[in-house]
Amino acid sequence: MGAIPKPPQGQFNVLYFASANSFTSKEYDTLPAPLPISQLFDALEEKHSGIKDKILSSCLVTVNLNYVNVPNDDGEDASDSSVVIQAGDEVAIIPPVSSG
Amino acid sequence: MEPNLTERSGEGCYVALTHGHLHAQDIIDRVRSPQAGAIVLFAGTTRDNFAGKPVKELQYSAYSPMALKTMLSICIDIRARHSLESIAMIHRLGTVPIGEESILIAVSAPHRQAAWRAGEEALEDCKKHVEVWKREEFEGEEGVWRANRDGLLGQKIAEKDGKN
Repeated sequence: MGAIPKPPQGQFNVLYFASANSFTSKEYDTLPAPLPISQLFDALEEKHSGIKDKILSSCLVTVNLNYVNVPNDDGEDASDSSVVIQAGDEVAIIPPVSSG
Repeated sequence: MEPNLTERSGEGCYVALTHGHLHAQDIIDRVRSPQAGAIVLFAGTTRDNFAGKPVKELQYSAYSPMALKTMLSICIDIRARHSLESIAMIHRLGTVPIGEESILIAVSAPHRQAAWRAGEEALEDCKKHVEVWKREEFEGEEGVWRANRDGLLGQKIAEKDGKN
């Protein structure tokens, strides 16, 4: 992955790796902030139809190099997660890893 | 200077990512210590097949800052738990031809038992958690992103095993 430019003011970058990178054919997207973490997957689904089921359902998410919990659709209370993505944050979609 | 080498170290731990070749002697020397009676080295090499299907080459990519952070936290944890002198872990990125090293892990300890155990645990933790991805390129068809927990694909890991 090459160098990712800083997001414009009021926005944040979402980085795509491995299968997320192949699915979107992009290294990253830029989205408007603030965005509650519970709305992240829907926001990405709007840009990349099908990504939620095919990719995101098996992925973890980091914000500024820390893993965060993303509430799912199945009745889990979205208020569980108070994380709100802020402008300038670096969000990343982490597919199942395969080092070694 | 190694091509695209990024590294972090501290507390008797060294971790790195590189697009260059891996050198076993270098990583052994990195953990060498007069207090150690054993050095265990693991070298992971790229296999020419996946479940019998011929693999042409492997491509590794990483979320580098995250991968280094996770590698360092694994090493610090394992060094403390097994009372190691030192531990080092380096992963190669980019295209790795078949039969070449993609990862090296070296640990040094006063006695061999701890070194064997720590070396194995370090590799297992690395394969479970480090943010590196392997794509297998096959002859005449599209490549596949491999997942170390294949078979469980689509299942979210509920516990992140204390990973921060």
